[in-house]
Order: sequence, then structure tokens, then C-alpha cells
Amino acid sequence: MKRIFAIAAWGLVALAGAGALAAIAQHRGESLNATWFIVAAVCCFLVAYRLYSSFIAAKLLALDDTRATPAERRDDGRDYVPTNKWILFGHHFAAIAGPGPLVGPTLAAQFGYLPGTLWLIAGAAFGGCVQDFVILFCSIRRDGKSLGEMAREEVSRRGGFIAQIAVLAIMIILLGVVALVVVNALKSSPWATFTLAATIPIALLLGVYLRFLRPGRVLEASLIGVGLVVFVVVAGKWVAESPAWAHAFTLSGVALAFAIIAYGFAASALPVWLLLAPRDYLSAFIKAGAIFSLAAGILLVRPDVHMPALTRFVDGTGPVFAGKIFPFCFITIACGAVSGFHSLISSGTTPKMIVRESHARLIGYGAMLMESFVGVMAMVAACAMTPGVYFAINSPASIVGGTPEAAATTISSWGYPLTAQTMTGLAHAVGEQTLLNRAGGAPSLAVGMAQIFSNTIGGERLLSIWYHFAIMFEALFILTVLDAGTRVGRFMIQELGGRVWKPFGRTSWMPGILISSALIVAAWGYFLYQGVVDPLGGINSLWPLFGISNQLLAAVALVLATTILLKMKRTRWVWVTLAPMAWLVTITMTASWQKIFDANPRIGFLAQANALAAQIAGGAVPAEKIAETQRVIFNQRLDAAVTAVLALMILVLVVEAIIQWTSILMRRQEPVLHEAPYVATRWAAGAEGAAGGGD
Amino acid sequence: MRGIRERFLRAAKAMWRGVREWCGDSAYERYLRAQATRCAAGRPLSPQKFYMEQLNRRYSRPNRCC
Repeated sequence: MKRIFAIAAWGLVALAGAGALAAIAQHRGESLNATWFIVAAVCCFLVAYRLYSSFIAAKLLALDDTRATPAERRDDGRDYVPTNKWILFGHHFAAIAGPGPLVGPTLAAQFGYLPGTLWLIAGAAFGGCVQDFVILFCSIRRDGKSLGEMAREEVSRRGGFIAQIAVLAIMIILLGVVALVVVNALKSSPWATFTLAATIPIALLLGVYLRFLRPGRVLEASLIGVGLVVFVVVAGKWVAESPAWAHAFTLSGVALAFAIIAYGFAASALPVWLLLAPRDYLSAFIKAGAIFSLAAGILLVRPDVHMPALTRFVDGTGPVFAGKIFPFCFITIACGAVSGFHSLISSGTTPKMIVRESHARLIGYGAMLMESFVGVMAMVAACAMTPGVYFAINSPASIVGGTPEAAATTISSWGYPLTAQTMTGLAHAVGEQTLLNRAGGAPSLAVGMAQIFSNTIGGERLLSIWYHFAIMFEALFILTVLDAGTRVGRFMIQELGGRVWKPFGRTSWMPGILISSALIVAAWGYFLYQGVVDPLGGINSLWPLFGISNQLLAAVALVLATTILLKMKRTRWVWVTLAPMAWLVTITMTASWQKIFDANPRIGFLAQANALAAQIAGGAVPAEKIAETQRVIFNQRLDAAVTAVLALMILVLVVEAIIQWTSILMRRQEPVLHEAPYVATRWAAGAEGAAGGGD
Repeated sequence: MRGIRERFLRAAKAMWRGVREWCGDSAYERYLRAQATRCAAGRPLSPQKFYMEQLNRRYSRPNRCC
């Protein structure tokens, strides 16, 4: 009887999800309420978790709770720590949730709400969650080995090397792009710049507190920090209203880029306790608070979505970024549906803390569903503003014009009505000088969030405070990714350099620290600078490059997962990882090809370089602009070369893996698995709490 | 009424413990517990030394995603 009720209840959830999806897909014309999006996402994710993840757990991976995990066998209270599954879920989610699922869907909203929402839901259920879950399982079975180590052992030495290089390359591109998002959010905004700058002394203060006064008392230090951050968000208004202070904190894009580059170098070279760690603690609390508040705000306000299901820009002529819906919608959404970077977390700290193999389902699959839900909320927030305002904020001046009047005329001519007064009034209401041409996703998401928050608490009066709170939240946790990533990149460079000259590899050797920090910062700083001076706003070139590299890493992870499953003789179910892998290889290869060779200068890097070169040759470029144009030409060719190298790496890895798969399937070789040997758990079922989790 | 109060207090305590675990506030206590159960030979690290060691380990590998 109980079983019949359960089946009926799940049937109802599935029907509700299908109904909401159908409503979203078929709706045309008037605005649509956000509740449909929430119902569709929640119901689809519940069904995916209940059915698909349990199928993977039982049939594909055959999770075994009688087997001791690395946390039990190697428990040392430091790296290997048995942890309650809900706590570990929180840790894992905090680690994987970055700015990508907020920025990607916001940018992809230029196609309309439908393609992005569908891909966020389907991509996560069948791709991203599967990748995170399977890689976590593989790492648990290998004592918590990293993705690179597993690729080297299970695929080939070359596979491991490719994975290592891919990680470094992706990190460099990622850091350059997210830094560009911060620059575009802070440009000409004294309030936002002051607020973010003030978080640096706050972090230093917390660092000293945690190091000398109350070592390790993270909770109390973070609460003090959160209080101070809220204060500086409010104080930013006074700064913006004071002519002298406002002038001091009004910075150009180039000045901000250099400030962020200097900050990245300092965060990498300074002791970790002083700046990086306290900022990370602070960011984790603010991130959790902002995400929960956004979810609560959307549920309470239930805003209407004004963006159409599909815009005219599905044809590839979009002002935010150029390129058709296939493959660029998938490349742009990236982390909200599938993120290659997650495989580094799933093969990092998490597998060393898991108590039971069965917990991998909640932590690997479940946490990614949560991340995708954040992406759906970002999509709702972006689409809740009128399309005209969305395009005015996110389009570069070279396309819509640099004044409210010009932007209103251009955008209205596309069929999205907008008046100059709307833009000036909105900028005034949120306390900014202008909201025009702020490509990057952060300002438009902040406007969307501020409108939702102010409809919940404070009304129009608090709109500017909410806007700057949202900007601070986005910038703060982007900077956390930036400084943590720079430090890890520094270690990678030191490790590679240490192979050539031993002292360089010593992580405590000061010249090595300074040189490697300078190298990694120069690498991502170059991409950042290139984006800031790009006449098309930078995001048009760099976000697709980031998306391609991220999805390539996901393809690497899924190649590894497929190889391991074949070696485990799970041939019948191997499509679970093989299908998303094939899809990712298809979209990344198509996008790479188009970004390199497309004849449209807004899409193809080489086409744009050639068009600019022709302009110089034809005398169309004024003499004082020739040097700048030549630099843009060089950057476009560099982007083409980077894309080609990334695509080539994945092709080599795929070919290598296919040779190995064929040989396994033809039984030419007996597959060798590098799993840790089976050891039976000494913990009784349900005793994991006693093992350290505190259930 | 008393039952509800007790249940509420229990839930609040569990939540407090969860938040401390999640943010790393109770990491040192957990380390001492692990040391005690493993009957490790050497003296356990001081809170300060443990905190520093933990930070250096955590921030030497990817721990924040895009």
C-alpha cells in the first residue's frame, strides 16, 4: 500500500514538472510568472534525483556501503576526515558554487528564457550531475586521487598530462574572464568600487584575528566580517554622494584591471592566513545568505518574466555575444548545467571526507542539482527585467551607442521598446551614474536581484542598497575565486618549474613564490587587459573561450569516467557517461571551429583580425588608432591559437581513449583497474555520525 | 509544550553544530578527537599551528570553482 502511495506521489511530481515545462515551452505573448520556472525546475530535479541518480547508484556504479571509504581507512583528522553527509553536502556545494551559474544564464538570456532554462534542467540532470557523481565515486575508490592522477593511471600517461595542462589553461582563462566581469561591474561606480575595496582591510583584520587572537574561530570572525561588510555597503552611498570621495573611487576599466592584477599578485604571494583565507570565509557566508535570499525573494515576489521565450537573436546576431543558439547557448550557460571544473572538487577534498559510498549520490548528484537551480534563479532574475533594459545593460557601446538616447533608439528598433528616461531613471534609482554598456552579466543580475529584494523588503527606497549589496556579493565571491585560483595556479607553475630546476618547486622559497605568482598573474592579467580594451566589450570574445575550455575539461572528465566504466565491465550502461561526453565534444568542437574560422568578424577570431587588418591597409583607421588596432588583431589571433590548442588536446585524448575502449571491447587486453583494494567497513550501518560527522 | 521546547532546542543545537562543522569552526576539536581515538604517539598540534597547517593544505589545490 505504501509503495502504491509513493508511486502515486512521484507520478504527481512528474506530472507537475511536465506541466510546468509545457507551460514554459508553449507560452507566447504576455509575460509569464516565475512560479512556472520554479515548479518546473524543482519537480524535474526531484524526479531526476529519485530515479536517474538511484539508477546510476545501483546499476552503473553499484555503490557498496560495506566497503570502507578513504575517510575511514586513512582517518587522520586533517585531510581524511569522516564527515556527516549533510555537512559534506554543504562543503561540496560551497566549493562548486561559483559565479558561472549566475553569469552564464544571465548572458544566455539574450536568446530568450526558453533555451537556457531547458538546457539548465536537462544538462544538469543528464550531464553535469552525472559527471560530478561518477568522478566522485571513481576518486573514492582510489583513495581520493585527483583527476590528473586518475587520467594518467586509467587512460594513459599522455591523458594525465593533457588533463594537467588543460586545468592550468582553463584556470588562466577562467581567472581573466571572471576578473573582467568584476571590472565591468565596478567601472565608473564609486559606490561599488569603495565597497569592494573596503572588503580588503576587513579581510586583513579578520586574518589577524584568526591567526593571533582566536586561532581557527571561523564562525565568530565571519560574523564580525559580515557585519562590517553590510556597514561598508551602506557607507558606499556616502562615498558616492561626496564629490571628493566619489572622484577618488571612480576608476576607468584599465585602472581597475591593473588594481585587480596587483591584488591577485598580493593574494598569491602573501601568507594565506592574511588575505585569502579570511576573504574566503567571509565570501562563503555572504554567498550562502545571498543565494538563499534570492530563492526566498523569488518565491515571495513571484515576479513576471518579461523576456520572450525566444528572441530574434537565436539567429546569431545577438548584441551581448555573437553566435547561433547551437552551440553558443550551451557554451555560454556552461557551469550552470555542466562544469568541468567540478571534477577537480569531486576528485579533491570531498572524496577524502565521505563516510559511505552511498553518500556520493546526495553529494555528487544532489549538489550539482542545487547549483543548476541557482542558474535557473539567475535566469529568472535576468528575464524579470524588461528586454529593452536587459539589452541596454549588456550590449557594448559599439553596437547600441554610448548614450541613453542612442541605445533607446537602437534597442527599440529591434522590437524591444525602451526610452532614454527609463535608463537614466533606473541608473538614478540604483545609485549609479549609468547602467549602459555594462557587459558581463553582473550588473544586470544585480538589477534583477535588487528589484526582487526591494519588492520583498524596503520597496523602491532600498533599491540602491540592494543593488550594491548584489554587486558586492558577486564581486566578492569572484575575487575569492580569483585569489584562490591564482594561488593554485602558482603551485602548478612551481610544480612544473620544479621539474626543470628543483629549488623553483619549493613552495616556501621566496624568489620562486614571487616569480611563479608574477607568471600566473601576468597570464590571466593579459586576458583581462585584452578584454578591457576590446572595442566589443571583451565578453563577446572571452566568455565563449571560457565556456569552451570549461566544457572541454568536462569532456576530459567524462572520457575518464567512460574508460573506468568499461574497465569495470559496465558496458551495458556506459551510455550514461558516453552520451553527455559525445554531446560535449560535439558542442565544443563546433564552437571552437566557429570561433576560429567563421567568416563573420563578430564570431570568428581570424575573420575579425583579417577585417581589422584590411581596415588598416585600406587607410580606414586613423593614424593614432593604428597601434591599438594592431594590438586587437594580435589578441584575436592569440585567442584563435588558444582555442585551437585546447580543441587539439581534447581530440588527442578522445582518440587515445577510443583506441583503448576498442581494445577493451575487442578483448585484446585485460583491463587493469587501479582501485584501492576492498576493505570491509568496521562501522555499523548508521554509525557514521559517531565516526565524526555528528549526525 | 515541554516536548515542543525540547525538540526545538535539540534542533537548534544540531543546527549550530552543523554550521560550526560546515564553516570549519570545530575543525580543531575534531582533530583532537581523531588524535585521541588513534592514540597517536606525538603531542597534538597547538590550535594556532593546526589552523595554519590546515589553511596551507586547503589552499594548495583547487577548492573554489567557477
